[in-house]
Amino acid sequence: MSEIILDLSGVGFDYPGVKVIDELDLRVAKGELVVCVGPSGCGKSTLLSLLAGHLQPTRGTVERKGASRTIYQDGGLFPWLTVRQNIEQGLPRDAPVDSRAKKVADWLEITRLAEFAGSYPHQLSGGMRQRVELARALAAETDILLLDEPFSALDYQTRTRMRRELVATLAERPRTVVFVTHDIEEAVMIADRVLVLGARPTSVRKILDLPGDRSRTPASPGVAEAEQAILEELGLS
Amino acid sequence: MQKVLFPVLTGLVLLAIWWGAHAAGAFPTGTVPSPPEVATAFGQEIRSGRLFDDIIASLYRVAWGFSVGVLAAVPLGLVIGRSLQTRAALLPWVNFFRSLSPIAWIPFAIIWFGVGDPPAIFILFIAVFFQLVLATSAAVATVPKIYYRVAEDMSLSPADVLFRVTLQAIMPQLVTALRVAIGVAWMVVVAAEMIAVRSGLGFLIIDARNGLRMDLVVAGMITIGLIGIALDLVFSRLTRIPSVRWGFER
Repeated sequence: MSEIILDLSGVGFDYPGVKVIDELDLRVAKGELVVCVGPSGCGKSTLLSLLAGHLQPTRGTVERKGASRTIYQDGGLFPWLTVRQNIEQGLPRDAPVDSRAKKVADWLEITRLAEFAGSYPHQLSGGMRQRVELARALAAETDILLLDEPFSALDYQTRTRMRRELVATLAERPRTVVFVTHDIEEAVMIADRVLVLGARPTSVRKILDLPGDRSRTPASPGVAEAEQAILEELGLS
Repeated sequence: MQKVLFPVLTGLVLLAIWWGAHAAGAFPTGTVPSPPEVATAFGQEIRSGRLFDDIIASLYRVAWGFSVGVLAAVPLGLVIGRSLQTRAALLPWVNFFRSLSPIAWIPFAIIWFGVGDPPAIFILFIAVFFQLVLATSAAVATVPKIYYRVAEDMSLSPADVLFRVTLQAIMPQLVTALRVAIGVAWMVVVAAEMIAVRSGLGFLIIDARNGLRMDLVVAGMITIGLIGIALDLVFSRLTRIPSVRWGFER
């Protein structure tokens, strides 16, 4: 079995008077892409904050091997920095000065943003902003990537394209990924494993292992069955 | 074109009304000078060099009062905005002192700083300081939390978070606050120069009033207004700095 990078054991998290997460167990292996789906407001983003270390669990333990970067739904870029500066800001702090420009140029190339290197985030489309977020997070060269509904504000076509770009980029530069979404189709297209979370207080209600690689289509084997199983678990079918 | 033409036309209309009202005897003798009298007074002041000296003296005091006020207020505003405890302890008092007119500090300014530039600079500092602390702390409180989460991911040091995240994030609001503050400082300069100084546009007006030279009073007022517009134009240019402009274009 691969090395366990994220290990949550009996995790609970309460906001004052509200139990958000309870008895949640999760183990994510190195290089795995785990997608969490669940009803709106069930605590998916809280789970990511626990994984990122932005929040500490009220109960249980969160063990994380390595640093993480989070990609947010929108607004995570610094609006006072250009695309180039935002990506540069994401580089490891100990990255040698002479290699920084090269690394930024590489990520601009990979995410097809070279032409917009001098633009500010508000001058870009939603899809382009998410590409910058992706480039900034991946440029950090951290072991763990956390994605908090990163494509939910985008239109269908852009969302599909971004999803494919993410999968392609991860194939070239593997990371351990936890991806939170409310989009079931998105989950079953790219996940190695889908975790279905229950309503608040949330815990893992079902785990689905998806067969094959991460570039599935709706016609790929197991996709329709997985979607159906998730819908049933969420009481939507 | 409109930006220049329209205000000039409005100015000409106001000038015509003033001139016409004066010619029609609408003002009691000695209360309001005519435009030619004001123009003559301007000419005298410019030729004697006194107007230029007074402008420099006022700008010097405003520059000091404003600069010290900004340098003291912005860091304090950043701290108040970021720390709930500090905000709870200090913000009501900042509001208390902000509500006091800077003119109320004149007795203390004279007792503490004597005569010359320091008391006037102190009054200008007071005019800038409390309002900028409030504006800065209010701006900090509106910075989206997501920026701090990103900064935490990047392991930025507290100093980096303060200067490379918080300060940058509030820059558009801060520039607007600076525009307002320089306007207030310039407005207060007349009052500040009523005390313990013998130069500056404020002193020019007070001295002219004492000599019943209403033509000089109006010349001083026009000069203050024109420099006020110029200062605002200079500060409005700050909004064009690329790392600030985003706040005005979104």
